[in-house]
Amino acid sequence: MPLWTLRGLRRGIVTTRYPARPDASAALLPTPPAFRPDVLTAGLADRLVAVCPSRALARDGDLLVFDVGACTACGRCQAEAPQAAGDSGEFELAAIAREHLIKRIPLGGGLG
Amino acid sequence: MAGAAAAWGLAALIALTCGFARAGIRACCAVSGLGGAAALAAGVSALLSGNSRVVTAGGSVVVGTLQLQATSLAGVFVALLGLIAVATALYAPRYHDDEPSRPTGLYLAVLNLAVLASLAVLVAGNVVTFLVAWETMALLCYLLILRRPRRGEVAVGAFWFLALSEVGFVAIVAAFLILAAKTHTTQLDLIAARAHLVSGDWRVAAYLLALTGFGFKAGLVPLHVWLPEAHPVAPADGSAFLSGLITKLGVYGIALFGFVLLPDGPAWRGILTMGVGALTAAIGILYALNERDIKRFLAFSTIENIGIIVTAFGAAMTFLAYGQRSLWAFLLLVGLYHVANHGSYKTLLFQEAGVIEHATGTRDFDRLGGLAHRMPRSSVITFLGTLGIAALPPLNGFVSEWLIFQGLFQGFRTGNHLVAILIVIAAAILGLTGGLAVYAFVRGYGIPFLGMPRTRQAAAASEARQPQAGPALLAVACVALAVGAPVMLAGLARAMRTVTGVTLRPVLLPGNLTVIPAHTNFAGFSPTWLTVFLLAVSVVPVLIYLAGRPRAASRIEPVWDGGIVAFKPRMQYSAMTFSAPTRVMFDALYRPSVSVHRASDEPAGSSGPVHYESEATPIFERYLYRPVVRAFEWLADVVRPIQSGDVNLYLFYVFAAVLVAYLVAAL
Amino acid sequence: MTGQSGTGLNVQETSEELRRTVTRLFGRSLHIRTLDTGSCASCEQEIRLLAAPHYDLHRLGFFFTPAPRHADLLMVTGPMARVFETAARKTYDAMPDPKIVVATGACALGGVYQPDPFTRGGVGSSFPVDVWIPGCPPSPLALLQGLLVAVGRLAEKVKDLDFALNGAPR
Repeated sequence: MPLWTLRGLRRGIVTTRYPARPDASAALLPTPPAFRPDVLTAGLADRLVAVCPSRALARDGDLLVFDVGACTACGRCQAEAPQAAGDSGEFELAAIAREHLIKRIPLGGGLG
Repeated sequence: MAGAAAAWGLAALIALTCGFARAGIRACCAVSGLGGAAALAAGVSALLSGNSRVVTAGGSVVVGTLQLQATSLAGVFVALLGLIAVATALYAPRYHDDEPSRPTGLYLAVLNLAVLASLAVLVAGNVVTFLVAWETMALLCYLLILRRPRRGEVAVGAFWFLALSEVGFVAIVAAFLILAAKTHTTQLDLIAARAHLVSGDWRVAAYLLALTGFGFKAGLVPLHVWLPEAHPVAPADGSAFLSGLITKLGVYGIALFGFVLLPDGPAWRGILTMGVGALTAAIGILYALNERDIKRFLAFSTIENIGIIVTAFGAAMTFLAYGQRSLWAFLLLVGLYHVANHGSYKTLLFQEAGVIEHATGTRDFDRLGGLAHRMPRSSVITFLGTLGIAALPPLNGFVSEWLIFQGLFQGFRTGNHLVAILIVIAAAILGLTGGLAVYAFVRGYGIPFLGMPRTRQAAAASEARQPQAGPALLAVACVALAVGAPVMLAGLARAMRTVTGVTLRPVLLPGNLTVIPAHTNFAGFSPTWLTVFLLAVSVVPVLIYLAGRPRAASRIEPVWDGGIVAFKPRMQYSAMTFSAPTRVMFDALYRPSVSVHRASDEPAGSSGPVHYESEATPIFERYLYRPVVRAFEWLADVVRPIQSGDVNLYLFYVFAAVLVAYLVAAL
Repeated sequence: MTGQSGTGLNVQETSEELRRTVTRLFGRSLHIRTLDTGSCASCEQEIRLLAAPHYDLHRLGFFFTPAPRHADLLMVTGPMARVFETAARKTYDAMPDPKIVVATGACALGGVYQPDPFTRGGVGSSFPVDVWIPGCPPSPLALLQGLLVAVGRLAEKVKDLDFALNGAPR
């Protein structure tokens, strides 16, 4: 019998429809940012809005509107304000409605 | 028969006198059509009732008596002549509708007289009548082609026709002279009865002269060069008549010499005929594929079909030489059946080519397209003709070609291995032409009728006021010849008993609509049941669709085209690109010469158009005819000094001639 | 399935029935037609990898087909260049119902390009999109998750994500 058959019988199910355990390489992918509401201020939010090349960020009063669908995971917002934006690590982002991709993050960092 | 002749004479008279008016044209055509119907009936009765007696119709001391005899062999040709005359009579009024004038009246008169002359050729009872009628027919056809003498190509085509017709006439006269001299009679049936008096060498010489002479008229390769020049330049009804009947007169002559006057001969005579026929068929269709002009294309296709008929005749003669009398009669019979079939569908196609030319103003394939939508009835009729000529079941072309193949495949019955192989090679060549014919006629029907119009004239075509009754009649005839093939073959078998003495009927048609090729242990097929079967089989998918189609509401969307914005006519095949594979494969035959001119060496488009021209080398004109013509010119140059213009020299010639004659007589 | 999402109607049991029908029809046999409306082809590279051995789409019964007539799912990338609109419309119309439209990549979802004379800036206004897959480009796993969500074999996850970090940045 071929080696892989024995290995497969030893290890159990080798292939699943969708990875049963998190894929090791997934951690290396650039992913959309996640924001820290307690650090975000209006000024910081405006800077982040200005630096996004894909118009994924907008400020609506005291909410930072983040369009996950428009985000290209370029990392500029994280470079601009590393204390306020970090990697979310999420890549399973399929949505059945466009609104599900619009996230509203409160600006909790106060003014300034 | 006399009625038909009288009708055509009367029609010619009407055309001459009143041909400048529409009513005159209609009257002429009506009378001509009646004559055609009479001829059709007379031909069929001649087929069935055997050779009639010889009728002497006057004559003079100088040319001898004029004798007429309606033979069974000629019966098929007379019936075909009648059918074509009726179809032409239905077609001509609307075809000439836009220009009733004195030349049109003259033209129609000449056409009717040519029909009459053809009838005379077919019912000629003695040599003199035959030759006089033949030459009259040739001259009248020359005048027929010259309908528009001021166009350059018309003059060239007519000249080729007449020149080669006369060369052939010399050979025909020589052949008849040999026979008449050796049998001491000029009456054709007596010549046939006394054929044993002609010794072997003279028989061969007579037959070869007849093959050459009638081959010029029939269009055998390499004697065919006039056909694609002459047939296209005549008006459509004239072209139809030329291709449909006049070439068949050449075939009639070959059949007359090969089967009636000189039936017995060595095997190599049959093999030669068969080889010439097969070669003609292959070369005819190969050149047809290279043509952009509809009528030249159809002219080459005529050459191909004549080749098929002559192949059948040649194989028949070969079989006789080996004692296979029933196969001899069978192949003669199917050859004649193919004559009738080809006459009907080729006439149809030429008439439709005339309709297309009048509707769109062009004969060029690459300027047509999409005519099936603009001219639906013409396209259906043309489709039936195309199915026939491409030899696709269940139509008549398929039946006759299939039977020819079944005759050829029995070559093993000759008992001689070499001959059997040669016969099979001829069958293989015919198979090649059959395949190429389907290819050619997919091109011939698809490019003009299907797809999108390639020019504005094609888009504006209309079949209002175009003749449809004539081609429709021929389409009905094609279907009738196919479905009623057993009936037709039964009639021909009876005629064959008169011509060949072989009773084919019991082996040919054992009663239940099945045709058996002369020997019961070979094969059999039934054209009638084939038609029924094909119709039934095509009904079944329709029923399945009707029963099983989805009940839910469905959406109708256009055919998936890859998402392009719109189809453009230039995206389609052109006629020449469609046939490009044959030009690649057979380039040894075509020897294409390509010339490319451009204004400068810049990439195409930035410096102006690139002129690309590709031409097939006309090998027969260049390597056969031109040397012959040059040889004659050289000879004429050598002999020219005789005509010095000096009267004294001429008197000396007279004196020398008298002296020489006196000496010769004295010795 | 066509045109159900984004209409604002929230008839839960109907959409559940719809989901079940879609899963029944396409859950194990899906033919995907990809449509590039003017992308940079990075999404296409990732889509191509789906058929490669590591992810191997075929074992799920999902296949790529070039013929819209045979396709069940239209996977659209690119910002919908205006010159392509006729072809895109024709492709969509040529697919028989029921069909699913999946918009793939940030361009198709409305990011990167603004609407201007040359592009529409997203495919949302051209098709009734059923599933949106963000990413630039979305990795094959993200695409796989998107396809399985489209046929109802996986649940949507992003609806419940809030992209808000509570604590020190990673």
